[in-house]
Amino acid sequence: MRAIPLKSIAAVAALGLLASGCGQGLLGQESGGEQHGPIVLGMLIPQSGSEASIGPYMSNAARLAVDEINAKGGVLGRKLELKTADDACDAQSATAAANKLVTEGVHVSVGGYCSGATLPTLPIFGKATIPMIIPAANSQELVDQKLEHVFMINGTGAQQAEAAQKWIAGQGGQRVALMHDNTSYSKDIALRTQSSLGAAAVTVEAVTPKESDYSANITNVLAKKPDFVYWTGYFQEGGLIVRQLRQAGYKGSIMVGDGSVSPKLAEIAGGEAAEGVYATMTQTPDTLEGAKGWIEAYKKKFNAEPGPYSNQAYDAVRLAAEAVGRAGGTDGAKVIAALEAIDGFPMFSGPLKFTPEHTLAGGGFQILVVKDGAFALQDSLS
Amino acid sequence: MTQLVWNGLFVGSFYTLVALGYSMVYGIIKLLNFAHGDLYMLSAFTGFAILGAFGGVPASMGLLALLAVLLVTMVASGLAGVALERIAYRPLRRAPRLSLLITAVGASFAVEYGMRAVAGADPQVYPVRLGGTAIEVFGARLTLQQLVLVGAAVALMAGLNLLVTRTREGRAMRAIALDPRTSSLMGIDVDAVISRTFFLGSALAGAAGVMAGAYYGKIDFLMGFLIGLKAFTAAVIGGIGNIPGTMLGGLLLGLLESFGTFWLGGEWRDVFTFGVLILFLTVRPTGLLGERVTERV
Repeated sequence: MRAIPLKSIAAVAALGLLASGCGQGLLGQESGGEQHGPIVLGMLIPQSGSEASIGPYMSNAARLAVDEINAKGGVLGRKLELKTADDACDAQSATAAANKLVTEGVHVSVGGYCSGATLPTLPIFGKATIPMIIPAANSQELVDQKLEHVFMINGTGAQQAEAAQKWIAGQGGQRVALMHDNTSYSKDIALRTQSSLGAAAVTVEAVTPKESDYSANITNVLAKKPDFVYWTGYFQEGGLIVRQLRQAGYKGSIMVGDGSVSPKLAEIAGGEAAEGVYATMTQTPDTLEGAKGWIEAYKKKFNAEPGPYSNQAYDAVRLAAEAVGRAGGTDGAKVIAALEAIDGFPMFSGPLKFTPEHTLAGGGFQILVVKDGAFALQDSLS
Repeated sequence: MTQLVWNGLFVGSFYTLVALGYSMVYGIIKLLNFAHGDLYMLSAFTGFAILGAFGGVPASMGLLALLAVLLVTMVASGLAGVALERIAYRPLRRAPRLSLLITAVGASFAVEYGMRAVAGADPQVYPVRLGGTAIEVFGARLTLQQLVLVGAAVALMAGLNLLVTRTREGRAMRAIALDPRTSSLMGIDVDAVISRTFFLGSALAGAAGVMAGAYYGKIDFLMGFLIGLKAFTAAVIGGIGNIPGTMLGGLLLGLLESFGTFWLGGEWRDVFTFGVLILFLTVRPTGLLGERVTERV
């Protein structure tokens, strides 16, 4: 058992060394070619497995950004090229996919949706000095290692929990029940919210994802007589939980985390049940002022609505192009320095400046509410 | 406490419907049909497509329309089961048991990702929903729709039991389960009976699929995986290959999950469920009502 992981780590390390050697060591033709060929962006997204529905939203938006930039002549006279790979929201697939991208000569990584799948890819991109702009995954664990090539353009779990606590307190929630699905992302937010709420958090219930029936969990939660329920997992379960809470006769407030913000949540819960459900969420195309033009462009190109995390994926590509432009080339270290120096780059979530931890200086979390089956802005919390 | 019992029985009746197909197929050809849960998924999507094709069904007609869709889907799902047996299992009838088992896993993935290619990865939402207002009975909240679903499940199980114990067809099935070679020497068309067994088991899973779709609302291409494992567990608890045992196992599993969640907390539900599976396989592999078998996968 022990020998295998060691071997694979060694293989990964060797691969990484090889790749970084290519970038810096072999001058002459290699690097000459490097500076003229396309700038390759790699994107790890779930295309199969349980979160497969999210992948296309993100890759479509990234492609939109790539095409827009290329139409304007690209960056430094070079075209952008997008390579996507499937991480299946699973650590093993993600590791293989990241290695594939590295060997394909990716210059900047602009992917990452599931925190659990993104985490093992950090050292792979790191060894090859490939800067990572993570659009969607937002577990604190990603930045806790303080790796210099890792940048997150989504709010963190801590920032989301803070927004949740602020809103719950403002609503006068006295007995708050927290529900999570035991994944790194969801549990993190639930436990952080619990500790900031203190005595008001009466119970924390973990559910098993991918089931249909949560009545046993809901019976547990309702036994504590909560007046506020906060679900921090994804929308597939979120919709069912909202519906089953209401069916069980729960009358209090319900709030969901950003993984649950999808038009499907209200559909799954069924019109009546979803009305008035709050959500903690970063800016989305639906709630952004002045994003109308962008939504139109997206719809026209892909004949579909921009889904969750499409705006972050779009921003990640634009940010990568900007950083490569400022660095004057695709050298990893220079691109990282350029990213750190960025101040005021316009993104959907507002002007960008990274904190020393490489997260957003402002979390930009806001409160949405379901109105007539769709999420609408309730409070910008600013 | 009555709420826990009711929750358990309700979920358990779904498990039972799916588990029966597992159990029957194992009983007759000693195959663990790992693609069985995916037939449940397949029929949830079939029901969804049929309802979609008819457009909006008036809310008052919801239950009747669903019953009609249920019957059609059961037939479709049964035929899918027959096709599955024809394509994936019959050519391997004489192959070692392991090949069959691996084929079943392959068939499961083929059905899942085939459905994903057809219907997409996004979860779909049923156009007809069985919600209903809850009534209070002995301190448990339950809806009329839940009662109808449980009633339908019980009726299907009773029908199956009659068929297996009282008809010629059932006698042929039991004979093959005992000894396929001798049965064929006695003039039973073994292949035809196996096909019909697949038809029955798959139709029951199909009924469960449509009922789950209409009740929970959400269907997706991976929904059959976990319930397939749970149904297998239910079959093992009750006694795989034994029909009354499987019914008991399904209801027991529902209750175990309900109480397990209450006692241990939600995150322990699956640990508890599959822990029970391991316990049964080691301590009493024949299940509660199963008889001693000499050969097992």
